[in-house]
Amino acid sequence: MASASIRRARPLLGTFVEIAAAGAGCDLDAALESAFAAVEKVHNLMSFHDPLSDVSRINRDAVDEAVAVDAWTHEVVAVAVDLHRRSNGMFDVTVAPALQRLGLLPDLGEPPSEGPSPSEAIELLSGHRVRLCHPGTRLDLGGIAKGFAVDRAIETLRAHGITRGLVNAGGDLAAFGSDGETVHIRDPHDARWSVARVAIMDEALASSGGRLDLLGSTGMSASAVIDARTGEPARAIGGATVRAPTCVIADALTKVVMVAGEAACELLDHFGASALLVLPDGDIRITPSWRKSHAA
Amino acid sequence: MTEWIKWTAPAAAVVSIASSAHAVQYLSIPEAQKLAFPSATRFVEAQAGRVWKAQAGDKVVGLFVFDRVIGKHLFIDYAVALDPGGRVLRVDILQYRESYGGEVRQASWLAQFVGKTSASPLQVNGDIRNISGATLSSHHVTEGVKRILAAYGHGVR
Repeated sequence: MASASIRRARPLLGTFVEIAAAGAGCDLDAALESAFAAVEKVHNLMSFHDPLSDVSRINRDAVDEAVAVDAWTHEVVAVAVDLHRRSNGMFDVTVAPALQRLGLLPDLGEPPSEGPSPSEAIELLSGHRVRLCHPGTRLDLGGIAKGFAVDRAIETLRAHGITRGLVNAGGDLAAFGSDGETVHIRDPHDARWSVARVAIMDEALASSGGRLDLLGSTGMSASAVIDARTGEPARAIGGATVRAPTCVIADALTKVVMVAGEAACELLDHFGASALLVLPDGDIRITPSWRKSHAA
Repeated sequence: MTEWIKWTAPAAAVVSIASSAHAVQYLSIPEAQKLAFPSATRFVEAQAGRVWKAQAGDKVVGLFVFDRVIGKHLFIDYAVALDPGGRVLRVDILQYRESYGGEVRQASWLAQFVGKTSASPLQVNGDIRNISGATLSSHHVTEGVKRILAAYGHGVR
């Protein structure tokens, strides 16, 4: 029996989230509705802009007193804190003041504290509570929430009995089932071209590079990845693509690779991840495991 | 320490994403209407090709608004479903097209989109379905939804 398939897209998480699913004998529409609902939940919990989100509540209230958040928010913050430690501070979800200075995030009124505000300032407590130990600390989960949302949507599709699925949140994506999905990686220097083609099966892939505003500007703008050590946009790498078992890890590791470049190898290995870098001169570098795991 | 490898992309992998107008058709207007308002028995056009009242019998169950964002490189058809109180029920992308070529600047090429109110599918490039890379901003669609809410968020009867 041939399985039916559907593909839909909605504007969520500041980008376009596309979900495709195939399966026989299951309600595809219901599966996609639930998967989009999971993405929307992450959007509502972790938005930096929405004053009602968990992230806004943490930034507003968690300095004085621990704030109880959703289990998902707690989990993402825990992953972020772990990655901060493992990356020697290169992955940092408390760089919001740097983004505000650059005009990439709105200034919320209070003057952001100067200087680095390390993720050590985040305290994870029982009962899904979060506390900020440093008054200048601002949390921004933008570098990791999209990947987490993709993982939750994939999980939802599987729970609905979908046999083949794909979730793509603006380039942070994951796929499962049958012969995998072919993904083209956009050239970070020229959005009209792809630099590589990979097959993704039961794994995730995420890319970082310039931000692309297809409806206005002429092309790429500066990287939105901030080097936590300098508070400046990362410049060493033109673009980074990471494949990993989960999208939350792939998403976060692209930021580390954008800052650390080829020094990120050990961390990639630790998470069973591989990477493709596009250097500023257009040269491409891959980790050995990138080639091993598939032929382009 | 693991060594990184210098890599040259095979010619087959280096393809133009945009020149042949990367396009994905997700939903037709009738499909999106049915998804947004499963209980509706008919859709009464309130503004030709743009706005429909979703009705279950004689009862208005909501408003369906079709819109298109046209920019320099990207054309997005989307639809907003509002409940009778004017609250957003859902936003679906109907069609997505990318193009970067000189054709976009030509008025004649643009004209095929301007003023049209129903989806006119371009050829879908079947080979390129999934793209990872610079994050696409959905800002313009979000702004569009706000405009639609300003116009129709007062509710319908």
